[in-house]
Amino acid sequence: MLTAANLRKIFSTVVAVDDVSLSVERGQILGLIGPNGAGKTTTIRLILNIIRPDAGTILFDGVPFCESVANRTGYLPEERGLYRKSKLINTLVYLGTLKGMLPAEARRTALRWLERFELSQYADRKTEELSKGNQQKIQFTAAVMHDPKFVVLDEPFSGLDPVNQILLKEILMELRQQGKAIIFSTHVMEQAERLCERITLINKGKVVVDGSLAAVKKQYGRNTVRIEFDGDGSFLSTVSGVRSALVYENYAELDMGDGVGAAELLKMLVQRLSIRKFELVEPSLHSIFLDKVGGAPEGAGPQSAQGGVA
Amino acid sequence: MKKAFAVARWEYMEKIKSKAFLISLILMPIIMIGFGVLPTLLASQADTEPRIIGVIDATGQLFDALRSRVETRYKLPDGQPNYVLRLVGEREELEVAKKQADRLVVHGDLEGYLIIATTVFQDSVAEYRAKNVGNLRVVERFTATLRDIVFERRLQEAGVNPGLVTALRTKLELRTVKVTAKGIEEAGFEQVFFSAYLFMMMMFFLVATSGQLLVRSVVEEKANRVVEILVSSCSPTDLMAGKILGLSGLGLTQVSVWALIGVVISLKFGIALASLDVVLLLLIYLILGYLFYAAIFVAAGSPISTEQEAQQITSYLVLVLVLPLVLALSVLQNPESTMVKVLSLIPLLTPTMMAIRIPVLMPSTAEIVASILILAASTLVAMWAAGRIFRTAILAYGKRPSIGEIIRLLKTAN
Repeated sequence: MLTAANLRKIFSTVVAVDDVSLSVERGQILGLIGPNGAGKTTTIRLILNIIRPDAGTILFDGVPFCESVANRTGYLPEERGLYRKSKLINTLVYLGTLKGMLPAEARRTALRWLERFELSQYADRKTEELSKGNQQKIQFTAAVMHDPKFVVLDEPFSGLDPVNQILLKEILMELRQQGKAIIFSTHVMEQAERLCERITLINKGKVVVDGSLAAVKKQYGRNTVRIEFDGDGSFLSTVSGVRSALVYENYAELDMGDGVGAAELLKMLVQRLSIRKFELVEPSLHSIFLDKVGGAPEGAGPQSAQGGVA
Repeated sequence: MKKAFAVARWEYMEKIKSKAFLISLILMPIIMIGFGVLPTLLASQADTEPRIIGVIDATGQLFDALRSRVETRYKLPDGQPNYVLRLVGEREELEVAKKQADRLVVHGDLEGYLIIATTVFQDSVAEYRAKNVGNLRVVERFTATLRDIVFERRLQEAGVNPGLVTALRTKLELRTVKVTAKGIEEAGFEQVFFSAYLFMMMMFFLVATSGQLLVRSVVEEKANRVVEILVSSCSPTDLMAGKILGLSGLGLTQVSVWALIGVVISLKFGIALASLDVVLLLLIYLILGYLFYAAIFVAAGSPISTEQEAQQITSYLVLVLVLPLVLALSVLQNPESTMVKVLSLIPLLTPTMMAIRIPVLMPSTAEIVASILILAASTLVAMWAAGRIFRTAILAYGKRPSIGEIIRLLKTAN
């Protein structure tokens, strides 16, 4: 569906996107992940022709971006906003017609989506009268109401309560089943892990990891041990044979180097902690992410790309 | 292009329903009429009570004549005399009389007083003293009346019959007739000035209002980030064209309503408006000029991201438009001067300069063709440059590009 190859974008002196390639097929959700400022948003803007790449090619079913491609794409930007003083239904009809819909058709579809999100009673209200979460649902509607073949969702879950998160997840699954190609950008790894079939991890403008989630995990699938325990686990990261460790209050993920047996480790741990759960697993996307991005905590990533044109 | 119309429709429909638009639609004519009518109305407002004016007549022979003439000439609306004259001093010591009269003025018993010295027949000088000497009407009326009386006395002394002089002396009226290629038409200064002024104001308001709306709509979309969705849905060219189209529609709606009011008023007062060919020619300038300004507004507005900055930049641009308004009177007096001709060729000024010049005195064909060509070419260049700047600048939030960056933007092939 979409193939982007060797994208490159430079803002004055900063290389925001450096030789990024990615692709997504019909019925597939691609997780575009990376720390803040990694170049995710810039990559998305390049793909959607909002800004032009300095190098690289972008093809939709073999065709470069043009008006008919624009009509078949939907976009939920990370930074949300709608016309505050305008009626919801008017805004949606306008954005629909900009995607090539006829006004009547756009109105019908918009009303159907409002119903689905239980927002029908707000149709004639102004956007500014709505809560943030509801505004977000409206904006999501604007991204998908014209039945696009290709959808880009930048952090679609942020700001939604758990009930609405479940609703949105259901809709995402539906969209996938309808055969849409979806790019889902996030820095919440758990969401990406649950929803995505493919992962493209970007850091500092470069693709660091790319492939199906299963393959990626397999590639990093060393001995990972997940434990739940009671007691002071602070020593866990210094246990011999542990390559890296994520230690929380009563949960830990230990990446064991080759050659250290799980049984041996368990024996040792039992002496110092009260173990509630001990399992050998593939690494979580989260730990792969931390491994690849160099353990940079959330929000402390290099602010290179998004400063320029973000 | 279909999407440009969708954008235009949206801009037009959303703005026309806004309270700000309705308010300016109604308020503007009221303010305009207020500016035009109120000062004259206030100045020409009649008194409601007689004013008491004192007179110190050192000649001892003019007071009665002055009183009867002033009282019969100037009446209040209810028929009473407008001025009641009181003799406050005659031949006695002048200084004493003055002091006494000054006191009366300060107490408010007198509006003011006239001092007619014995020398008035020789040097024709009298004096008016009052708290308010800015009341031009009183000064003007008493000057006229006193002049007539003194003049008649002199005629009598010279042995001439004053009645005969009055009968022989008639006022002369200068009728003004405008000569054009098609013949002659009667048009006074007011008429010519009025239609020139009307067109200029229309041009001004069209640009000022829709230009401002244009900048603000761009700034709003940047602030609420809708711009990203828009640019991924339609080309920036469509977006820009749609905005200009929609908001000029809005401006035209507004101006049409005002023009209608203007036409009704001028018909009512019998003021002749310009002929059709003049209107058509002015329309060309109006449309080209509007597009030229719109491009400048877009170029200036797209790198901006806050309302405050938008306000600033639009008010500067509007100032340029006001310049011909300031020059209007001198242009009317001398529409053929080199200075005026040169100014008319500067695209920023062309539309308004021509709006003043054409109703007054049709410029030469060469001048009209040259100015239209220059304006059209500048409009094309401005549109092209604005499109370039718009395309990149609308996505630049927060930081304003420097002049250097804008030049670089224009150079890079996109």
